[in-house]
Amino acid sequence: MKATSLFRSTSVRRSLPFAVATVIAVCFSSAGFAQQHLSKRYQTGKNVRIELRNISGTIVVESWNKDEIRLSATMESPNAHIVPKQMDESLIVDVMNDNRGRGDVGDVNFKLQVPVSSSVDLETRRGQISVSNIRGSSVRAHVSTEGDIELTNITAGQVVAQNTIGNIFFDGEFSTGGTYEFKSTKGDITIRIPGNSAFRLVAASPARKIALGEFWNNGFKTQDGRRYVGDVGDGRSSVSVTNFSGQITFLRK
Amino acid sequence: MNCEKCQELIHDLLDGTLSRADEFTLNTHLNECLDCQSVRQDLSAILGFCRSHRGEYETPPNAQALWLRIRNVVEAEAANVKVKSKAPRKSFLADLFGRSWELSLPQLASFAVAIMLLVSIVTVVGIRRFGNNPPIEQPQPLASNINERVFQRQQVINYWKQRVELNKARWSPEMRDTFDRNLQVIDAAVTQSLNELNRNPHDDISEQMLNESLNDKLALLKEFSDL
Repeated sequence: MKATSLFRSTSVRRSLPFAVATVIAVCFSSAGFAQQHLSKRYQTGKNVRIELRNISGTIVVESWNKDEIRLSATMESPNAHIVPKQMDESLIVDVMNDNRGRGDVGDVNFKLQVPVSSSVDLETRRGQISVSNIRGSSVRAHVSTEGDIELTNITAGQVVAQNTIGNIFFDGEFSTGGTYEFKSTKGDITIRIPGNSAFRLVAASPARKIALGEFWNNGFKTQDGRRYVGDVGDGRSSVSVTNFSGQITFLRK
Repeated sequence: MNCEKCQELIHDLLDGTLSRADEFTLNTHLNECLDCQSVRQDLSAILGFCRSHRGEYETPPNAQALWLRIRNVVEAEAANVKVKSKAPRKSFLADLFGRSWELSLPQLASFAVAIMLLVSIVTVVGIRRFGNNPPIEQPQPLASNINERVFQRQQVINYWKQRVELNKARWSPEMRDTFDRNLQVIDAAVTQSLNELNRNPHDDISEQMLNESLNDKLALLKEFSDL
């Protein structure tokens, strides 16, 4: 009996420091993790506008069948500060402004779930932007430096996608009377649209890498393959694609 | 009967031209009103004096000429009054500076505080609006030479570049590398377009690319200047 209790007390004594260390480690790591993650929900209408100005990090926006926005952010640095502002029918997240004077706040990775008919205006100095399944009035994705832009299943009257280094992929439809602008200095631009799309195209690439595929017709005017100007269908929408050194490709859905 | 009506009728009473009914009403009022009674006494005294001294004063030698002179004087004065009323108004400033200002100490202090406030507001607005501004971008090109045009844009770009360099130390090494790498890519595009334009000055695609690359460079610098 005594031997058993001695054994028990010895094993407890030996394992106690490890247990304490584990508990402390778990507590600290969970506290740290809690500081670096933000999740909020905002009740909105159907036609909401989302403005997000990030410094560095990825931005993922996707639609869901709810009249509310769910914002999740993972912050690399505990110094990062995010104060989303909801005003009328818009949600504004300005990481740049919220962290002025705080030094380097590292990457902040966002994921937003928004109503289908939302308009989104997204900016980041560095990082990828991905927007999917949006049918709002406008979609704007701007990466100041490098980062891919992927716009999937988009139907909007105005679409702007621009980066310096990185690929741009657009999969969606051109609305009647809409304007669409895609611009990259070094990266491939791929546009995937229905075969019956109607638009007026101005595509420029000094590298002469423009592939219009099934959308090419004899009405196109070209200047030694560096610029194509012409109408596809009745040219109801306006499309401008500029790529300095990458490929411009049009694909049929 | 009121006093006003009564005093109108007193003349007729004294002249004896009032009807009996009016005379009765008037006398009833005069018996009750001391003021009107006093007016009747005064008028009665004047009339009595005139009647008793009728023919004692001399008529002017030429009554018609006298009346004309009187009328001329009256008309001249009336004309003067009109001219004075039509005299041009002094301007606001003339009025302001022509006025003699006598201010009490609290008024003077309030005036001084108001001036100080006004000057402060104008200074703050001026600094925000015009202070620390980049050189004004020249409107697109009257310069015939492309290099000259690029040089003009470069002046503005250099200003923003300096601002970026001031802040660069605060960035993370990754951000610095990213920025430099992207700036190099844009610079390469600018150089390539310039070379192409030097070979073929009328190549509008190269010109478009040059303009867009310079705009991209400027936009990049501006975006990173406040990072």
